[in-house]
Amino acid sequence: MLLEVRDLHVEFRTRDGVAHAVNGVSYEVDAGETLAVLGESGSGKSVTAQAVMGILDMPPGRITGGRILFQGRDLLKLREEERRKVRGAGMAMIFQDALSALNPVISVGDQLGEMFVVHRGMSKKDARARAVELMERVRIPAAAQRVRDYPHQFSGGMRQRIMIAMALALEPALVIADEPTTALDVTVQAQVMDLLAELQREYRMGLILITHDLGVVADVADRIAVMYAGKIVESAPVHDLYKAPAHPYTRGLLDSIPRLDQKGQELYAIKGLPPNLMDIPPGCSFHPRCPMARDVCRTDEPPLYEVSGVRGSACHFWRECLDDRDH
Amino acid sequence: MTATTEPILEVTGLVKHYPLTQGVLFRKQVGAVKAVDGVDFTLGRGETLGIVGESGCGKSTVAKLLCSLERPTAGSILFKGEDITRLSGRALKAVRRNIQMVFQDPYTSLNPRMTVGDIVGEPYDIHPEVAPKGDRRRRVQELLDVVGLNPEYVNRYPHQFSGGQRQRIGIARGLALRPEVIVADEPVSALDVSVQAQVVNLLDRLQAEFDLSYVFIAHDLSVVRHISDRVGVMYLGRIVEIGRDAEIYDHPTHPYTQALLSAVPVPDPEAREHRERIILTGDVPSPTNIPSGCRFRTRCWKAQERCAREVPALAVPAAFRDASGPAAHDSACHFAAERQVVPAEGEHGNGPG
Repeated sequence: MLLEVRDLHVEFRTRDGVAHAVNGVSYEVDAGETLAVLGESGSGKSVTAQAVMGILDMPPGRITGGRILFQGRDLLKLREEERRKVRGAGMAMIFQDALSALNPVISVGDQLGEMFVVHRGMSKKDARARAVELMERVRIPAAAQRVRDYPHQFSGGMRQRIMIAMALALEPALVIADEPTTALDVTVQAQVMDLLAELQREYRMGLILITHDLGVVADVADRIAVMYAGKIVESAPVHDLYKAPAHPYTRGLLDSIPRLDQKGQELYAIKGLPPNLMDIPPGCSFHPRCPMARDVCRTDEPPLYEVSGVRGSACHFWRECLDDRDH
Repeated sequence: MTATTEPILEVTGLVKHYPLTQGVLFRKQVGAVKAVDGVDFTLGRGETLGIVGESGCGKSTVAKLLCSLERPTAGSILFKGEDITRLSGRALKAVRRNIQMVFQDPYTSLNPRMTVGDIVGEPYDIHPEVAPKGDRRRRVQELLDVVGLNPEYVNRYPHQFSGGQRQRIGIARGLALRPEVIVADEPVSALDVSVQAQVVNLLDRLQAEFDLSYVFIAHDLSVVRHISDRVGVMYLGRIVEIGRDAEIYDHPTHPYTQALLSAVPVPDPEAREHRERIILTGDVPSPTNIPSGCRFRTRCWKAQERCAREVPALAVPAAFRDASGPAAHDSACHFAAERQVVPAEGEHGNGPG
C-alpha cells in the first residue's frame, strides 16, 4: 500500500475553544489508484490532506493522534529535513488557486526549474530545459518562449496546468489535488481533469482528489470516501456508492444536486447546517439533520460498519439506507 | 421569442464597452473591452430566464445593466414598454425599485457593521413610500420569516450567520421593495451542495408566492436547468443560443453549447465510458480583440472560411426553419446541427427514498 492514514486526529486551538477538525480518519491509496475525498466546507477533507503532506499550520493546528504511513514509513515520526525530501520527490500537492500558489515575481520557468535544482542538483541551464519539457508535457503552447513569462501572463487553465507540471516534475508516487478545478470554467475543467488522468495513468501515481463536486468524482475516481464533521461516514468503490449509498448523508447529497438531463421538481434539501466543530453533537454527528435518526443515534457513535468487503458506512441503520434505494 | 406571457423586460441590441485609455495628460482611447456586444432577449412575466456562460462572457455585466448599475453604450432595455436606459432622476429611482438584484457572494455583499434588520430595512430608507417608518421593523421581520430565518434575529450581525443564511438575508433585502423582477447573479455558487438545494428551493417558492420574474445568471448548467423556463448561452459578449430548457439541453444546435454541455461532469459513474466529450482547445479570446465573423470560430471544430467573414445572426437556423421540432430555436451558427450530448440517466430516482 502506498499511503495508509490510520485513525488521524487533528484539532485547532483557537481563542474561542478547540475545533475538532479531524476525528479519527483512516484511508488508504494504492499506486495507480484515485481516491476521491468528498465533503462540504469544514468536513476536514483539506486538513487531513495537509497533515499527510506535512503543511499543516502548527500551531494553531495539532495532530493529536494517529499514523500516516507512506511507503511503509510513519511520516509523523520523521524529522523535518527528512520530511522535506518526501515532499516534492515522494508526494506533491496541487492547489485550488494557482494564482496564489505560484510566486508572482518569479518566472514559471524558474519555479519549475527550482524543483530540479533543489532535489536533483541540476545546473540552472539543465533545469530550464527540463522546465520547457514539462510545460510541453502539459500542453502549454510555445513553451520555449513562454518559460520566461510570469504567472499573471497565463490564463487560469494554463496556470493550473503549470501547477500540475510542478507537482509532477519529480514524478512523485502520490499526488494530492485539493479542488484542482473548482476555480475553472467547465470547458477548461474538462481539459485539466483529462490531462491529470492521463498523466496519472502514465506515471502510475496514487491520486487523492479532494472535492465537493459529485460530478467530478463520478468522472475520475476509483474509490470514494465521504467526510462529515471530521470523520469518514462512507467509503466505497465509486460505482457502488452512486448506485446505492449506504449512509443517509451521502444519499442526501446525491438527491440534492440538480440534474442536467431533466428539469426537476423541488430539490431534496438536507435540513439544517453542518455542525460547529467546537461543539460536535454527541452520538452520530449527523443525527440532527438525519431523516432516519432514532434514539440510539443521539447517544451511540456509530463505528464504520463493514457493508461488504470493500465498503463501509458509519450509520447504525446502513441496511435500511441501502434497501431504501432499491425501491 | 417563445415567451408565451407578456414580456416584462425586452432587451434589444444591448452593448457595453469599457474604454481602454492611454496617456495621463492627453487621454486617448486605444481600444475597448467589449464586455457585452449586442445582446437581445425578452423576459416574460413570471418567467425565469437562465443565462449561462463561462467567466468573462459578459453575463454579470448584463446583470448590472438590467439593474441600472451601469449605463449601456448602446441598445435599449424596455421594462413594461418603457426604455429604462434613458431615464434619470425620479423616474429611474422608481424603476430601480422594481428590478432588484441578489448577489453572488454572501460574505462581501452584506455590510459587516450593520445588523440584519438594518440591512434588510435599508431599501426603505431610499424608498420611504413603500413602508412608513413605524411599520418597518414588522416588515423586516416578515421578510426574514418569508426567507426562512428566525424573525428574532433582526439585531444580529452578518458574521453570526452561515453562508446559506447570509444568502437568505441577501434575498430578503432583494424582496424588501416588492420588486417585479429579480436579477440573481450566481446566487448559489458560493454555497455547499446541501445548502445550495435549500436556497434554490427558496427561490422557486418565492417566485410563485410573489409572482416574480427572474433573470438567473450562473455558470452551473445543472442549477440553471433546474430553475429556468428558458436558457440563453453567452459567449464573448453575445448570446449564441437561446430557447426553452429542453430545446437547449436536449437539442442543442450551436457547437459552443454542445461543448459546454458535454463538459459538465455528471454524477453518474456509469456515464463515464459511453459519454461523448467535446474537449475544446485553447482559451476564450480577449474581449478587447474579438475575432471577426463568428466569435467562437477560433475554438470551433466546424469553422470554415465563411465563419471568419460573416457574423452569424441569432435566429432559427435555415436548416430547421420549416421544422417545428425542438431543434428549431435561435442559434447563431452558420452550420447549426443537432447533436445530443447530455446522456439520459434512467436509473437514479429523483428525490429521497
